[in-house]
Amino acid sequence: MVGFTALYLAFFVGYPVVYNLIMSVQDVTLGNIRYLVRPFVGLDNYAKLIADPLFTMVLQNTLLFVIGNVALQFLGGLALALFFQQPFPGASFFRGLILAGWILPPLVIGAVWKWLLASDNGVINYALHSLGLTSGPIYWLSDPATSLIGVTMANVWFGVPFNMILLSAGLAGVPRDIYEAAALDGAGPVRRFFAITLPLLRPTIYALLALSTIYTMRAFDLIWTMTHGGPVDSSNIFPVWAYRLSFELFDFGGGAAVSTMMLVVVFIVALIYVRSVRAEQLS
Amino acid sequence: MRKSLLVAVAAIVSGFYLFPVYWMYASALKVSDELNANPPTLIPHAPTLTAFRWIFERENVAQYLWNSLLLSSSVTVLTLLLATGAAYSLARVRSIWMDVMLIGVMLSQVLPPPLLVTPMFVIFRQIDLINTQLAVILATTTKTLPFAVVMLRTSFAQVPIDLEEAARVDGASRTLAFLRITLPLARVGYIVVGTLVFLLAYGEFVYPVSLLNKKALQPATVGLYGFVGADYSDWGNAMAFASVFVTPVIVIFMLLQRRIVSGLTAGALK
Repeated sequence: MVGFTALYLAFFVGYPVVYNLIMSVQDVTLGNIRYLVRPFVGLDNYAKLIADPLFTMVLQNTLLFVIGNVALQFLGGLALALFFQQPFPGASFFRGLILAGWILPPLVIGAVWKWLLASDNGVINYALHSLGLTSGPIYWLSDPATSLIGVTMANVWFGVPFNMILLSAGLAGVPRDIYEAAALDGAGPVRRFFAITLPLLRPTIYALLALSTIYTMRAFDLIWTMTHGGPVDSSNIFPVWAYRLSFELFDFGGGAAVSTMMLVVVFIVALIYVRSVRAEQLS
Repeated sequence: MRKSLLVAVAAIVSGFYLFPVYWMYASALKVSDELNANPPTLIPHAPTLTAFRWIFERENVAQYLWNSLLLSSSVTVLTLLLATGAAYSLARVRSIWMDVMLIGVMLSQVLPPPLLVTPMFVIFRQIDLINTQLAVILATTTKTLPFAVVMLRTSFAQVPIDLEEAARVDGASRTLAFLRITLPLARVGYIVVGTLVFLLAYGEFVYPVSLLNKKALQPATVGLYGFVGADYSDWGNAMAFASVFVTPVIVIFMLLQRRIVSGLTAGALK
């Protein structure tokens, strides 16, 4: 019974991953896209990419984007999870409301945030201005200095509920009596958090950080809608670059090479995730 | 006292968080003068359905929505059919191969579509499936299938194996025991997984935008992208389109919220 699914996944997931690797060492153009045999170019595609001045910029953007998103989503999610863990009427209702943000298609989130961040009539610029924080409009998505911040805001908004709910599930698994015992021994709330909550949450946190890192690679939809990776590549990250190479410059070999490099990173992070989830199951 | 303070903070935090969703609906209901008014109006003064009428009459939004429905229903059916056998075996059979399979499934669950779309495009081009909805269905299923297997496996694992064994002692075959006993007991799992798979497929953008260039076949995500991808956008109409597109998602989510949440946390951590 497991056979059909294994075959499907092998053909439609395994094969593209392998095929991607093959294309990354070939010269693939619109002209030879239909053929199976294409000129072998060794590591030329990779060498060309690394020599490209864009490479450093995209690498820097990707690191900033991934670290910024993972950190902010985690901190926001942790703050909300701890807050909603307090017993008060309607806690689960309000927590449920916030979760709605996470079920929305990323494309819609990109569209709505592009409007919120619009420079002339955007409500965020209006709010900042009326609070006296800015003197003129900020050109969030059309200024290379702020575009990465703009897409990060939208993606953090999108990712916070996921972090919150996984951390809430983790917190619910911490036995109450440990806290009570620690409180009796005179440990304050801060001490209890660092001495009990964080260590016991560790497997959840590892799994969550690994998943969040991988999910930022999916921010493609958001970035594509909001900035297209621009202006002048200021919000271009690796998945966007891979897509542009293949579908705008028709350099499928280059696109495949970028994808392969990122897939290696995703695989490593995914192994960390699988390991921490399985460690949790065994414990 | 402390409790009412907490409730107040919770109301403010969730209100603040959900503001973008509110703003989408509010903007969709405004006339264009009001949309560009400075200062912006928090509540539409003269709510109108003009933008909604415009997108249905001029932009053929109904066609996009129909395509989305068609794609995501097909993906859901295909995914559940393919996932059932694998999830059941993974829940019941213990062997090293099942462990390998499970790790393979979990790894394929996390592969981002933007990194897979280049080889997918070339493969579908070679087998002449480019520009067909079948290509999008097959591609999107690669994203939903691993997820469904992992989650259905949890549902099957919760059905006590004794029940199946009792049925088999009474003479039922393994298949019959599965169909009569296990499947009905796992139906809640099916509803949750089916809903989530549907929602995932409904929001899918990368595969349809790359594999379909005929407007008549494209789903609403691609249509909406056409509205907002340009530098200048007609925000009233774009927000009306976005509202029409996501309202079903929000309604489904509210109806099944509790089950979706527990299902998804289990899917990510087990």
